[in-house]
Formats: sequence, structure tokens, C-alpha cells
Amino acid sequence: MYFELAKRNLMRTKVRTILAIIGIVIGVMAISSIGIFGEGLKKTVLERFEDIANEVIITPSFSGGYSSIDKTIVSKIEKMPYLKSVIPLKNEGSLVYLKNKKTFTTIYSLDRAAITELFEVEKGSNRLSGSCVIGSNLAERMKIRVGNKVTIKEKEFTVAGILKEEGARFDINPNNAIIISEKDFTELFNKEDYSAIIAKVESLQDIEKFKDLVEKSINSRDKKVRVLELRSILERITEAFNQINLFLLAIAGVSLLVAGVSILNIMLMSTLERTKEIGVMRAVGASRHTILRIFLYEALILGVIGSVIGGFLSIFGGYFIELAILQSAKHLFSMATLYSILQGVFFGLITAVISGFYPAFKASKLEPIEALRYE
Amino acid sequence: MHAVVELQEVYKIYTLGVQKVIALNGVSLKVEEGEFIAIMGPSGSGKSTLLNMIGCLDKPTKGRVLIAGNDTSKLNDDELTRLRRDTIGFIFQQYNLIPTLTALENVELPMIFRGLNRNEREKRANELLEKVGLEREINRKPTELSGGQQQRVAIARALANNPTILLCDEPTGNLDTKSGELIMEILTNLNKEGVTVIVVTHDPAVSEFAQRIVKIRDGKILDKRGD
Ligand SMILES: Nc1ncnc2c1ncn2[C@@H]1O[C@H](COP(=O)(O)OP(=O)(O)O)[C@@H](O)[C@H]1O
Ligand SMILES: [Mg+2]
Repeated sequence: MYFELAKRNLMRTKVRTILAIIGIVIGVMAISSIGIFGEGLKKTVLERFEDIANEVIITPSFSGGYSSIDKTIVSKIEKMPYLKSVIPLKNEGSLVYLKNKKTFTTIYSLDRAAITELFEVEKGSNRLSGSCVIGSNLAERMKIRVGNKVTIKEKEFTVAGILKEEGARFDINPNNAIIISEKDFTELFNKEDYSAIIAKVESLQDIEKFKDLVEKSINSRDKKVRVLELRSILERITEAFNQINLFLLAIAGVSLLVAGVSILNIMLMSTLERTKEIGVMRAVGASRHTILRIFLYEALILGVIGSVIGGFLSIFGGYFIELAILQSAKHLFSMATLYSILQGVFFGLITAVISGFYPAFKASKLEPIEALRYE
Repeated sequence: MHAVVELQEVYKIYTLGVQKVIALNGVSLKVEEGEFIAIMGPSGSGKSTLLNMIGCLDKPTKGRVLIAGNDTSKLNDDELTRLRRDTIGFIFQQYNLIPTLTALENVELPMIFRGLNRNEREKRANELLEKVGLEREINRKPTELSGGQQQRVAIARALANNPTILLCDEPTGNLDTKSGELIMEILTNLNKEGVTVIVVTHDPAVSEFAQRIVKIRDGKILDKRGD
């Protein structure tokens, strides 16, 4: 019945009630939509790194005085458990000639299987006997096509394939590089040792165990290698995005704050207009607590209606923002979206109740006789 | 018979800036259970202030107010609220019904505050509205009722929790003679059923219904007949 009383009071000033609800709707929509978008943005970015989350990069410990990884370490690591694949890698900078042009670029040594595992060949094949595979930017910049000849240190290679452009990676950047076989690399640069090892763990939980094993069996006496796990980089990216999202939410929160002030305002008006009624209710037996409750219900009703509508509309809001900025709304239907909506609804409710509390408290503190005498 | 209302040397002094308004100037009064009394006096003499003291809506500046044996100065806000709710019924000059509620719901209101369930409330509210002759108007809002009907709803509301004392501040002040007489008849019948009725008025026609008239002027009781 108190609820009914609150409801009827809100119906009495329909326009005002609707405006207050719209305020909450907008506030909740802003918070939820931005939350949805923020999560979508994070996922879109992380998605690009998804397949490297289980990757670890083993580099020489430069601080320990090592600039390369020798063969024995590579074969030790190849025998270790937890790993799905091990790709030892050599690289060297070198001048490269193509027809009458020359450029300085990175040469990687990899085998065909590793190329398949790490990259995608866009044109040609990944054949490496006497031939090479070229990164997309380099090919474009030097206008190289499959079948052209490039010269690295007086040795001529046929371009067997051109790689598809790769996004940002932490392990190896092939876009401006040339990949040749290990045999050719050793012959050209006379380099036995490796510059890095790219390995993939079977499961993410094994990363710590693998690191421990490396520490025990390779780094026990002398720190020879460092293990860099891409997971920790991903974690840092996630963290950065969470901070961005928080910032966006804070901005959206301002609109909810405005809605809260408007509720405070209309409820103060309402308590003032109904002072006499409050007096009557006190006279016929309503306690302070009852008056407080009736007014809080009013705030709660505004909050519930506004938040639920706002939460619902934010699905569309989130959809359009994602579509506009990320060009895709494929992350819309997820737990994160649900969470964002619940979060918006929660803040909407809290705002309404907090804003309603002061007027309700004021109403409950009125002295019965003062209230009754009020005209 | 014992006193259901007892005022001992009650003062009410309002301070407006440097000016002091003495609304009640040492009022002592006893009302026995089952009495029907009229408090009469000119406008501004302190009648409403006196009635509000009895109704525990206001607190005296000095003196004691005892209602149904309770020293009201010793009660906190919740206890005073309960006393109003369970032993006192108010009838105001402007009816003071809640505009959003129907006649029935207005009568239910004091029972809601007492925590009665819906069935009990509706049953009793219907009975009371029937008693004041409004069985056909139960679902009307106050704005759809005449002044006399509104005041009868107000009486029904005042009776909701079976009060011992009925306090009426100029109950016929806004009504035509005929409606006013109906109201006074209802009050007289209630008094016959045992309810103590205290009516504030400056209308001699109203005071004729009372067994005793208490005259007040400038915050002081003039005539203590029957005390
Ligand atoms: N809240 C108040 N503040 C100041 N003066 C008041 C207040 N309430 C009543 N008074 C004064 O007290 C006196 C008695 O008022 P009231 O009891 O309303 O008289 P009545 O009901 O007999 O007309 C009047 O002079 C009135 O102006
Ligand atoms: Mg008066």
C-alpha cells in the first residue's frame, strides 16, 4: 500500500515524473552503452593477439652477458615438456639488392613448417630451397613479385612467396623482412647460434612450470636466457583497456549525476508541495519511518523504471557505438554486455535512492503541527 | 468516570523575532471519558492550539498534558504517533483527505499505519463509510465529493482505529447549515456510543450539541463550569 501511495503520487505529476525517468534512462544508457563498447573494444584488440597468448619468447640474457642462444640450449628446450612447438630463430640485418635497387633489411632463418605456423603466405609458396619468402611491406615498397630475384650478400634467391601483412606482434616482425632457410642463413652469415626461440605451451597454466624448468635446467648456474611470456603483455593491455573503460565510465557517470540532481530537485519540490499531506498522515498515525518509506519508494520507482528502460536501450546504444567505431558488433551478445547493463542498472538505482534519500529524510523530519499548518 | 484528557497549567508561547505570542496562557482542563465538550472562543483565542496539544501534534512550552493516562512529555515521537493512531481521531475544518486516494482508501489509511491486513481494513472501512451514509461513494476521489461528503469520509477515517477521543477543529466551518447539522448528528451518535468528543467552534449552533462548553479567550479558560 505504501508502494501504491508512492505510485499515485508520481502519477499526480506525470510530466515531472517522466522527465526524471528520462534523466535516469539517459544516465543508465550512457553508462551501460559505454561499458558495452569498452568491453567490445577491448575484445576486438585482444582478439588480434589471441593466438599468441600461449606463446613464450626465449631470448638471450643480455644483462647476463649473452647475445645469442647456442645449439645445446635449443636442443634442451626442444626436449622439454609442456611445449607444443619450438621454433628456433636466427636473424641478421643485411643489405639486399633487387634489380638496380638496394635496401637494408632483416633476414630471418626459419623452416617451412615454422612459416606455416607463424604466418600466412599470400602469394606463391613457402618453398625455401634456393629461394626466399618476403614480407608484404618490403614486397610492396620494392615492387617485388613472386619469381623476381633478390641478392643477399652476393647470393641470388628467387622469391617463392609473399606473406600476408601481419598485425603488431611481439615475437617477430616479418613485414619488412626476408625469410630464408637455416642452411642458407648459416652459409651467408656464418652464424651457428640463435637469436631467439619462439615456443608455444600446451596450456596457459603450464607457463609457470615451464619457466621454472628453464630456470632450473638452463639458468641454474648462469643466467643465459630470459623467458618472455606474451600472456603478461596481454594482461598489461587488458589492464590499460580497463583503465580506459573506467575513464569512459566516469564521463558517462556525469550524466547519471545530472539525473540524480534532477531527482533530488523534483522530490524536494514534491515534499514541499505535499507538506500538508505529510502533516495529515502524521496526524492519523504515520510514523517518521513510514513517511521516509513512502518517499523512498517514489525514488525507487523512478530508479527502477528508468534503470530498466535505460538498461534495455543500452543494448541498442552499445550496438550502434560498436558498429560505428569498431565496424562490427559481434561482441554484443556476451557476458560482458550483460555485466555492463547490470552495472548501469545498479548505478541508476543507487543514484535514484541516494538522491531520494535527502528529500525523504527531510519529509520525515517535519514536525506534524508545522506540516499541518503549511499552506 | 476518569479523565481521558488532562491539561495542567499549559502554556504555549511563540517567539516571532522579539515579539512573543502567548497562544495558551496557563490552561488547565479535564475531560472525562464519554463527554461531549465544545471549546468556544473568538478567532485567535487559542482554540486550535489547545486542540493540537490534546492531539499530541504540538508540545507545550510549559505544563503537562495527560492523554488516556499517558504523560505526553515523557513519550518520544514514535510513542506519540502510536497514541495518535490508536486513541485519537482528528477531524479538520478543511477535511484534509489525501487527494490521490479514494474514500475507501482514505479511511483505510490509519489502519495501514497500524498494520492491519487488507481484508480487515476493507471490511472496516466499508462499515464505517456505511455508518456515515457514504456506501455509494466508496470509490470516489475527494475531488468527486461534496464538502459534507468529504467531512463524513474524514469522520470515518477518524474512527478507523476505534479512538477513545475525537478531536474536531471547526468541523462545520466550511459547510452549509444542513451538511453541518448532519455532521453534528453523527458526532452526537458517536458520543452516545461512548466516544469522547471535543469540538472546537465559534458557532453557538454547534456548541448546542455539547454537554459542556469551555470558553477560551486570549489563551485563557474563562468558565470552568462542570470541572
Ligand atoms: N506557529 C505559530 N507561530 C506564531 N504564532 C502562532 C502560531 N500558531 C498560532 N499562533 C498564534 O497563536 C494564537 C492562537 O492561535 P489559534 O490557536 O490558531 O487560534 P484559534 O484556533 O482560536 O483561532 C494566535 O494569535 C495565532 O496567531
Ligand atoms: Mg483555529
